[in-house]
Amino acid sequence: MARPRATFLEGRRLVSLALLAALVWSIWQVQWDQPIIHGGGIGAAADLFRALVTPELSPSFLATVLKASWHTVAYAFGGITLAVGAGFSLGVIASGVLARSSTGRWSMIVGTRGLLALMRAIHELVWAWLFVVAIGLSPMAAILALAIPYSGILGRIYSEILQDVPEEPLSALRTAGASEWQVLLYGRLPIALPDMLSYTFYRLECAIRAAAVMSFVGVAGLGFQIQISLDDLRFSEVWTLLFALVGLILLIDLWSTWVRRSLVR
Amino acid sequence: MKPMYRLPSAARQLVQSFTGTIRLSLILFLALALASWGFILVDANSGFPDLFMAETWSSAAGFLGKLAGVGEEGTPAFLQGERWMETGILASKTLAMSILAIVFAGTGALLTFLPAARNVAMGELSPHRRATPGWVLLHYFLRGTFILTRGVPELVWAMLIIIFLSPGILPGAVALGLHNYGILGKLSAEVVEDTDPRPAPSQRACGAGGLQVMGYGIIPQVLPQFITYLLYRWEVVIRTTIVVGFVSAGGLGMDFRLSMSFFHYSDIALLLAWYLLLVIGIDMLCAGLRKLIRE
Repeated sequence: MARPRATFLEGRRLVSLALLAALVWSIWQVQWDQPIIHGGGIGAAADLFRALVTPELSPSFLATVLKASWHTVAYAFGGITLAVGAGFSLGVIASGVLARSSTGRWSMIVGTRGLLALMRAIHELVWAWLFVVAIGLSPMAAILALAIPYSGILGRIYSEILQDVPEEPLSALRTAGASEWQVLLYGRLPIALPDMLSYTFYRLECAIRAAAVMSFVGVAGLGFQIQISLDDLRFSEVWTLLFALVGLILLIDLWSTWVRRSLVR
Repeated sequence: MKPMYRLPSAARQLVQSFTGTIRLSLILFLALALASWGFILVDANSGFPDLFMAETWSSAAGFLGKLAGVGEEGTPAFLQGERWMETGILASKTLAMSILAIVFAGTGALLTFLPAARNVAMGELSPHRRATPGWVLLHYFLRGTFILTRGVPELVWAMLIIIFLSPGILPGAVALGLHNYGILGKLSAEVVEDTDPRPAPSQRACGAGGLQVMGYGIIPQVLPQFITYLLYRWEVVIRTTIVVGFVSAGGLGMDFRLSMSFFHYSDIALLLAWYLLLVIGIDMLCAGLRKLIRE
């Protein structure tokens, strides 16, 4: 029997058309009436790229770069350690594995999932700005701002990993009389830990980048220095700082890839 | 059933199950975390002691109250339909910025991810089935662009681009596009490297050329994963558009920054409401699209 012919506006094609329409609408939203490159833009771009071959390498500036890099690393680690703690606690609750009754489980899952979604819905820099206004400009504001969305992401991923643990070893523990806490501690966690570690290391790279950007609100770090140099149009310094940032991220990326490869093995 | 006395031994067992690289990395991670916290807490201006002062929390509560319109003269912005319409236009600009950005990033990645994959450029799947200088060079060049574009954050790209592009949604979209191009390129090249190599030789044995092996052997394996990554990045991009708008002067970001500077608190609440609506809307849309792909 012949396959029923798909109508022209069948599911996927309709979606593709809608997405195409969205793209056309987006292009139309750009202000085409003004020049794309503003007056003096070409000259400024030329200056910017000319400075690429002459990055600022004086020892005193390199010391500044090193110090700014350390600030960025320190705030990234400050944020991610808080996020691992909060994300783990919330993730365990959001996975619902501790609840015995099914209503208890569902209220736990829905409530915590909603909280985690709200935490990660707002970008860390927006959190940073809100924190700076609320509690004042300080490294702690940046660290908390980083920790909140990262707890949201880590919490969600941890809860999914904990839920995906195969049931057989867990029921073996339950048959032996283990409580849900014991099942978590001796069953789920040891099985889930490699995946959780792997994801945490992946997030570490993102945290370094986020911490660098965080200084946009005025906290010390690579982003703050980039902003100062850009404001003074010292493009040679900008490139040095960018190389430091890319190098730092590359270093963390290599480390986390290495860790993840060994975890898979 | 006395579990607690067994906890230390369980913890020790867990630690001992990690060897070599992992243990070293965990120790390094802990050392860096401790050093960082030490450094942060030693700093007199860290703001950490402030967290235990009542004033800090009453000022934070005051800020939340102001966001909700407490003590504001006149009607709070989020209770005026007119203001919702005005800021809605900004929200639509932000949405357009995110769509342009993800299209830029996706197109760039689609054009480059094949030669950026090791097995396509210089291995099993390469045109000459061995490494040739041209392909090797192209491979490392593309990998280099991925590292550079990915390493520089969106906001910094925007700060650089705004030096020569006119303000609006375009520079923001280019900045977001550049950063996400690096991420999508890297992720999709890695997918190609992990594809099943077995179909290729049999396709070649049937007389398929290099392009046909790509089109019928590799692309179909990679495409679903590529679209999944694209949707996932779109969710991230919509969250970041507001941040890029701080400097590129397009959409919600610029007004958010201005309202912050002028202490127009209920305006901030309104802009945040639009922002959350966009983020949640895109998340739901992407969830729906993902479901469509899986079917």
